[in-house]
Amino acid sequence: MEVPNIIWMAAWIVLLPILSYFILCAVGNRLPRQGDWLSTGAIVGSFLLACGIFGEMISINDPNWLIQHSWTWLDLSSATQEWKLKVGIRLDNISAIMLLMVTLCASLIHLFSTGYMRDHHGKPEDGYRYTSFFSYLSLFTASMLGLVVSDNLFSLFVFWELMGLCSYLLIGFYRHKISAANASLKAFMTTRVGDTGLFIGLLALFGILGSFRFEDIYAGINAGAFDGQVFGMPAAFFIGLMIFIGTVGKSAQFPLQIWLPDAMEGPTPVSALIHAATMVSAGIYLVIRIFPILEFGHVLTIVAYVGAITAFFAAVLAVKQTDIKKVLAYSTLSQLGFMVLALGVGAHTPAFFHLITHAVFKACLFMSSGAVIYAMHHEQDMRHMGGLKKKLPITHAAMLIATLAIAGVPGFSGFASKDMILANVLGFGFYGDTGHILLPILAFSAAALTAFYMFRLIFMTFYGEPHDHHHYDEAHEVSWNMWLPLVILALFSFAAWYTGSVTGGLFGHGTDWFVNLTQAPALQYRQGAMSDHLKELAENVHHAHYPAMFLSLFVASCGILLAFLTYKTKTFSKEAMAARWPNFVHKLIDNLYYFDAFYIKVAIKKAFLPISKIFAVFDDKVIDRVAVDGWKDVAMVAKTSAGFVDDQIVDRAFVDGLGGATPVLVGASLRALQNGKVQRYMVFAVVALMALYLFLNLKEVL
Amino acid sequence: MSLDFLLHPTSYLGGVSGNLSAYLCFSAILFVFGLIAALSRRSTIGIFMGIELILNAAALNFVVFQVMKKDLAAQNWLHGHMFSLFIIILAAIEAAVALAIILRAFGSKGTINSDRISELKG
Repeated sequence: MEVPNIIWMAAWIVLLPILSYFILCAVGNRLPRQGDWLSTGAIVGSFLLACGIFGEMISINDPNWLIQHSWTWLDLSSATQEWKLKVGIRLDNISAIMLLMVTLCASLIHLFSTGYMRDHHGKPEDGYRYTSFFSYLSLFTASMLGLVVSDNLFSLFVFWELMGLCSYLLIGFYRHKISAANASLKAFMTTRVGDTGLFIGLLALFGILGSFRFEDIYAGINAGAFDGQVFGMPAAFFIGLMIFIGTVGKSAQFPLQIWLPDAMEGPTPVSALIHAATMVSAGIYLVIRIFPILEFGHVLTIVAYVGAITAFFAAVLAVKQTDIKKVLAYSTLSQLGFMVLALGVGAHTPAFFHLITHAVFKACLFMSSGAVIYAMHHEQDMRHMGGLKKKLPITHAAMLIATLAIAGVPGFSGFASKDMILANVLGFGFYGDTGHILLPILAFSAAALTAFYMFRLIFMTFYGEPHDHHHYDEAHEVSWNMWLPLVILALFSFAAWYTGSVTGGLFGHGTDWFVNLTQAPALQYRQGAMSDHLKELAENVHHAHYPAMFLSLFVASCGILLAFLTYKTKTFSKEAMAARWPNFVHKLIDNLYYFDAFYIKVAIKKAFLPISKIFAVFDDKVIDRVAVDGWKDVAMVAKTSAGFVDDQIVDRAFVDGLGGATPVLVGASLRALQNGKVQRYMVFAVVALMALYLFLNLKEVL
Repeated sequence: MSLDFLLHPTSYLGGVSGNLSAYLCFSAILFVFGLIAALSRRSTIGIFMGIELILNAAALNFVVFQVMKKDLAAQNWLHGHMFSLFIIILAAIEAAVALAIILRAFGSKGTINSDRISELKG
């Protein structure tokens, strides 16, 4: 079968970073500049290919555009039953946009890393960590891109786990720090909880459907493949919930959110790439892909509440942080909560929209914070900063634009996407008679808090008086390879790129190309069994549109104003504000709602530890004693007897015996034969010939 | 005597008649003489002559069978003659080589007694 060229392009997008990874692993530290250019070049190549695919998508401009091709990876078919495991590439509007976003962010972050990680460059005593860093980045990018182009849940899961591994490696990159090592372990173990759920979901799915491909899943929903039951639950509900648990782990949603703030122990470019822009959004991407199952199985309400809770409570935590990266970490949690909430109310397109815009401005924010940290000689505490606007003008401008975007100021990308989400949530919770009034309340509160804590960060970092003159005096603007990515990403934080007043003229497809192109798959899935709820939602959102816009503008300006008055003009005293809240609230926030304590005390000490102890006893008594020691005894007996045989029989009897006997018996007689006398040889030949003749003609002779 | 046999050799040869076993007995006696000579003579020349007798006995066998077997002659096949010719040629070559070896052995050892020339034992 002919494979379309565009499929090969997509394959090369994934293969280039993989090749770079292997080359860096093999000869990385012998390359000039320890191979950072190779990694960066590979991802820029992927970016150019992704541009090609994106251009193809834009020129076709078809909401139903879909190209896919799959190869049989494992063929276990018998004569009667077909059983093939297929993996392949699926390109539609969503994956094309995702590819462009991931490759753009990853290219810029690679470029940024060449500056930020310069302190690690060329230090053999550091174990050539500079090369390792870039090889991990390459592997990570490759797995993210592979996940995006996967046309089935199986290869998606493989890449999903690869990303988990890269995340572990990169969080623990500063391995001499015990906190970094612990954080990487925590991230790995926590996401593993989610991945277990995902894996169970995949097994159940395969048991029911016999395929992992998205096409088969969508077709199966309409064909009624998910009408049965699994473990006494409706199949679609069980599978949807289990796969969503995977998302909860990967995208750090409530109640598995604990790992993401700790993941900030990694280098800042890693935080930007993995823990803000791409990997955590892989969970959202997965939900978008399996959205029909979630809707068909009525999992969406759970999804919505998980998202709303995460969005609000993470925003509350962000308010009290003093570490610049921790603020951004909680902000990421909160924004991911927004996306999950949007998916939960059925707003498939706004969630994807926010995924893209958030990735761009959050990468910009993280890299800006990285530039600040770099300029301040790895000082991360905002209380020691201040007044940096003069010293870092470009970084300040970029970070301000990205902050305006995340706060939801009109004209910036965050406003466009968040406004759509809020309109959908309001339409779902307030205008619909669903009774989920709590969802819009949590969402709008989170939006207000977002504006507040982000401007708090800006004011504390860039304005006011410098608090640490030693660092302040030494600070200066970062080099070009660090500020250029900031500027590019800040440019893409304007709404015009997405809503079409610029790009509409550019591509000639009217306004709102993004929404037009990405809602089509959702519309497609809405055929059949699951249309009612979404039709109703669309109706309600229509009513909720203007109220939501005004409300979101209002809460955003409230948040910004409050931050301005508190941290810029100091009209309000922050101590007085803090004192107004009861003590237990502070305690809750300071202890992160006691989640870590709960997990350690209950989940780990009460559940995992006893189970581990049972396994340890099993290990010690059964496996170690019976299997290992038993095997040892068997081996000992075998060894002794084999030794005896060797020593007494083989050595004594055969070797010594033969060795002794051979010269006497065989040697002597053979020497008599081999006397060099030609005639004796001839006699032997004649006698042998006669014997042969006799033997062959025995019958006639006798 | 006509020279027909030059033009039609098989018709001429096919016309020879006689007792097959007489020829074979003569050949066998020749062979045994050769064998005894080869095994018992101490002189290498003598051994060599015995080998020549053995070869001639074999060649004689081939010729006899060619002549006596009528079906071979009827098809103009000359296998027996060809083999005996080859044997004669081989014997001639062997004579040249063997006599050269004997000459060299005599040159280096001063004798052609086969019991003295026992370098083959290594």
